[in-house]
Amino acid sequence: MSNTDATLALNDELASRNDMIISDSVDKWYGDFQALKGVSATIKEREVVVVLGPSGSGKSTWIRCINRLEQHQGGRILVDGVELTNDTRNIEKIRSEVGMVFQGFNLFPHLTVRDNITLAPIWVRKKPRGEAEELAAELLERVGIPEQADKFPGTLSGGQQQRVAIARALAMEPRIMLFDEPTSALDPEMIKEVLDVMKELARSGMTMMVVTHEMGFAREVADRIIFMESGEIVEVGSPEHFFTNPTEDRTKLFLSQIL
Amino acid sequence: MSLIETPIDATAALEADGGPALPPADPAVPPGQWIKQNLFSTAGSSVLSVVFAAVAFFTYWGLINFAFHNPSRKWDAVWSNMRLLMTQSYPVSQYVRVWFSLGIIMALVGLTVGVMRSNAKMRLTSILTKLMAVGGVTIVTALLINNNIQTDPETGEFLRALKISPRSGELEPIGDVLRIGYGEALAGRWWVFLVGGILLFGALAAWVALGDRRRFIFLPFLGVLYGLFGLAVLSLWVIPYGHYIQIEGVSTPTKGVTVARSTQGPWTVMFLLLGIAWLIGRYGLPSTSSLKALMFGLWFLSPYVIIFVVLRDPALDWSHVWSTDVPMFAAFALLGGAMIWFLTKPGLGEIGRVIAALLIALAAFHWLAGFFGWYPMLQKARLSFLVLGLFGLAAPNFAGDKAVRRGFVLMWVGAMVVMHYLITMVNTPSTLENVQSDSFIGGFLMTLTLTVFGLALSFPIGVIFALARTSKLPIFRLLSTLFIEVSRGIPLITVLFFFATIIPLFLPEGMEITKLAAAILALVLFSAAYVAENIRGGLQSVRRGQFEAADAVGLSTAQRIGLIVLPQALRVSIPPLVGQAIATYKETSLIAIIGLFDFLLIADAVILGQVDFRQSRFEPLLFVSLVYWIGAYAMSRYSRSLETRLGVGTR
Repeated sequence: MSNTDATLALNDELASRNDMIISDSVDKWYGDFQALKGVSATIKEREVVVVLGPSGSGKSTWIRCINRLEQHQGGRILVDGVELTNDTRNIEKIRSEVGMVFQGFNLFPHLTVRDNITLAPIWVRKKPRGEAEELAAELLERVGIPEQADKFPGTLSGGQQQRVAIARALAMEPRIMLFDEPTSALDPEMIKEVLDVMKELARSGMTMMVVTHEMGFAREVADRIIFMESGEIVEVGSPEHFFTNPTEDRTKLFLSQIL
Repeated sequence: MSLIETPIDATAALEADGGPALPPADPAVPPGQWIKQNLFSTAGSSVLSVVFAAVAFFTYWGLINFAFHNPSRKWDAVWSNMRLLMTQSYPVSQYVRVWFSLGIIMALVGLTVGVMRSNAKMRLTSILTKLMAVGGVTIVTALLINNNIQTDPETGEFLRALKISPRSGELEPIGDVLRIGYGEALAGRWWVFLVGGILLFGALAAWVALGDRRRFIFLPFLGVLYGLFGLAVLSLWVIPYGHYIQIEGVSTPTKGVTVARSTQGPWTVMFLLLGIAWLIGRYGLPSTSSLKALMFGLWFLSPYVIIFVVLRDPALDWSHVWSTDVPMFAAFALLGGAMIWFLTKPGLGEIGRVIAALLIALAAFHWLAGFFGWYPMLQKARLSFLVLGLFGLAAPNFAGDKAVRRGFVLMWVGAMVVMHYLITMVNTPSTLENVQSDSFIGGFLMTLTLTVFGLALSFPIGVIFALARTSKLPIFRLLSTLFIEVSRGIPLITVLFFFATIIPLFLPEGMEITKLAAAILALVLFSAAYVAENIRGGLQSVRRGQFEAADAVGLSTAQRIGLIVLPQALRVSIPPLVGQAIATYKETSLIAIIGLFDFLLIADAVILGQVDFRQSRFEPLLFVSLVYWIGAYAMSRYSRSLETRLGVGTR
């Protein structure tokens, strides 16, 4: 079976699943600069999509548009069937279903690790505190740092902070997880511990969209790889196709630079 | 309560075992070498050291002689007028009310400190060095004072040389003042040397005797403070300060009855009360968060209780209270509470927003009706409707968990208690004789009242203006900027004049504003503008990522501000906010300008008017400065400890 066949087979398999994220010719400008030029893609349930591309290619902008941290100016974005518009209620609904992990962790420095995780379940999901704390303990166990619950984020290492950030996002029991360069701010020896948590998450069937520079992760975990450059999607395919037999020249150039 | 925290024996054992290394002793630099290194390292620094040491010495010499030696100094002007300085003309027959108020505060301080389980420690070495410094300065001061004028032991008047009077031609004491020799003057002050010597050499002896162990001995900070308070109270039993007491508002020389004697009993009770309350709080009560919240609530309520009930003694019309005030309060608390319970139901959605909007509209309509006089309604009810509307608007943010909802409803009931209580009390006359409107407050009590209310009200208002100024809505931004810039551009004195003299002219008939209320209002609005700017600085320091993270986990705008942004912004704003608190505390003295008798005005004007103390202008002013300084310094120290405590985990 050739690579192209593999991609086609994957596409067939995916076609039977529900659409989780639909991005339909999304445009975004910063002043005169067009950061996204008609970006279209559909992400299916339980799919792990890795977005690759050089710096400034619009990957982060795109992922941030999906939970409205940035506002897109053209095209449509639908998350789990709900369209992102200026309607605050839609935005709130989507945000409570989409978890996001940032490059700079963005943990709340004035709250303990446990309070970081329980905050949104208590205030947004309206869970009783006891239940939320049980959930937090479970999640900290899952990301491998159950003993840090009473510490403040500032006292943890970068890798631990990022794992807390993942637990915080998971506490909302999201259906989709967005990762915006989750390992870029980490020291090399801490990258693995975060990637391991993400791999475990992918195996559990979470729908994930990951912007990263970790090629090993992309090759091992991704169902599909989307390659972007200059605000456009250049190539889409399975990891096998992407890493061994890319069709576009720009993809080849990119791979030759980083591999 | 053990005085020695680090077990000395364990230390010794560790040393013997050659176990983990202990922190090394401070390197013992011989004094000569220290002086050489720090003061005379180069020719230039030697000159500077000598010149500024001389300047400091002569300044101190001059200051000390100015304060204690100048022939007309009468420190009795301060001690004898303690009551006037503290509470102005509060009726002497009712003075037990003042002590009762102080007792409430003492009990609250003790309980709170006990429940908080404060564990601050002081190094023995730092206490010993302070004692040595105080002892040394006392001895030097006693040497420097050139108090050699002879006085009549009976009357306290200066003795003068005999001279032939040009009028009568006989010898009369009208010549130069008689002076005694320096040595004789020093001998007359033997007790000062004794006290200074005991402090200096006692501390030095302890320092030497303890050797290296002194570095491991810690004393509880609050225990040391309590001990100092105890010494101050003890001094009332030993030294008879103030040879006059005030009887019915008149300063009366009464042999044997001194200010110290008349206050030693109450102060001893206060001292014991503080200790007992601390013991109860520390050992009798658990340190739970709900109890801490209760303490906070009691502190919040205490000014209202102390000022409007204990000090003012309102003449309540009980039939009116039972027929109108209580039922109205109950109706608002219960029906409003039920409504808020309903509005915080999760998943209420649109209906909740509509009801909240209707409540606001209803409240607005009542005010409109009041303005045009369509139907009568108590102002209290109108205010309650307005507050209910605001609570309804905020309700969706508290939807969810039963505990959160209950807390919000309790907040509503609390707001109703305070509001209805305050309005009723303010509109009830006092039963005290000669006490009309707010003239029962004066002196330091007035300064405290203004500071407490000024700060308690201006901080929340400042927060609101800071948020409005950074809001996305242009109308909020505009109004807030306008208010802040106008308030900051006008001198406080002008604002005070405006509120005290012009506002009353605009009030509708039958409505009055007392001078004190006007002063508080002016202070609050003035200081709120500065608070707002300080907090805005803090808001701007919160990183963008925090906003994004809060959005990403689905918090609403109000939750994002209340749970994520404000806590971080306020922490950053602590130093400037404490600066503003200290400024407000000191600015309260400006209210003298609208004729209110605060601490400063009594010291400067009232005491000067007394026959005995016509010449004594400086003593009360120095005393007032000292009291202001103590308050401001305590605030500044507290803020420093707060910064350290809150800084945990941020960096």
